[in-house]
Amino acid sequence: MCPCDCGGCEQRLQPYVDRELTAAEVVEVEQHLASCGYCRRCYELEDTFRRVVKKVLVEPMPPDLKAKLAALRTPLA
Amino acid sequence: MSETQSESTARQLAEGARDRVRFEEEALELADQVYRVARRLVRSREEAEDLVQDTYARAFRSWRQYTPGTNLRAWLLRILTNLNIDRGRREQRAPDVQSLEQGDYYLYDRLSVDGNENLDEERVVERLSQDSIVDALADVPHNFRDVIVLVDIGEFSYQDAAQILDIPVGTVMSRLHRGRRALKQSLAESTVGGS
Repeated sequence: MCPCDCGGCEQRLQPYVDRELTAAEVVEVEQHLASCGYCRRCYELEDTFRRVVKKVLVEPMPPDLKAKLAALRTPLA
Repeated sequence: MSETQSESTARQLAEGARDRVRFEEEALELADQVYRVARRLVRSREEAEDLVQDTYARAFRSWRQYTPGTNLRAWLLRILTNLNIDRGRREQRAPDVQSLEQGDYYLYDRLSVDGNENLDEERVVERLSQDSIVDALADVPHNFRDVIVLVDIGEFSYQDAAQILDIPVGTVMSRLHRGRRALKQSLAESTVGGS
C-alpha cells in the first residue's frame, strides 16, 4: 500500500500515464511521486507495462493489403 | 464572362473527382494505422484484413459524409468498430466480476510478492511473454478491449475514443480502467502462477 493511503494516487495513475490530467494535477502527482517510493515504483511499472504491451501488440500491415485496398477505389470515369 | 450551364456542371464534376481522389489517397495513407487497431480487435490476421477491407470499401462509398479537416483516422476507425460490432463477435463470455475488483497496483503487488522493495520494473515486465500478453488481451471482454486498443495501440485521446465508440468520455475512462485491471490480473496470474 501507498503509505499515504488516500486512494487518490491509485485513481490518478491511469490518467497520469495517459497524459490526460490537467497541468495543475500533473504537478500534484509529480510532487507526490518525488516523496513516495511506493507510488513511484507503481507508476514506473505502469508506464513500462504500457510500453511493453504496445510493442508486443503492434503488428504491421501485411505488405499486400494496401494494394487490395487501393483496388477498392472508385475507378476514374 | 459567365460560364455556361454545361461548363459549370463539368467543373463541379472535375472538382468532385479531385476531392474524391484526395480523400482516397489520404485514407490509404492511414491503412497501416487502421490495420494495427483492427488486428487487436479481432482474433486472427485474416479477420483483421477482412475488416479493414470492408472498412475501406464502405469509406470509399460514403466519402462525402467525411468533413474535410476533421480527424480522418478517427472517422475510419468509427466505421471499422461499427462493422466489427455488426459482425456479431459478441459470443464472448461475460466479464468475471470478481476479477475486476483488484486495484491498479495489483500487478505490482503480485509481481513483487517476494517482498523485494528494490524491484526492477523493466525486468518484471520482461517476465511477461509476448504470447501471454496477446492471449490476455484476447480474453478481456470486448467492450473493455475496444477502448484499450484505441487508446494504447491507436493512441487516441479519451475524447476521440469516446466519439469513435459513441459513448461518453466517463465510460471510456471506466472501461479502460476495468479492462486494464483485467489484463493485468490475467498477466499477473499467468506469470506468477495463480493466486
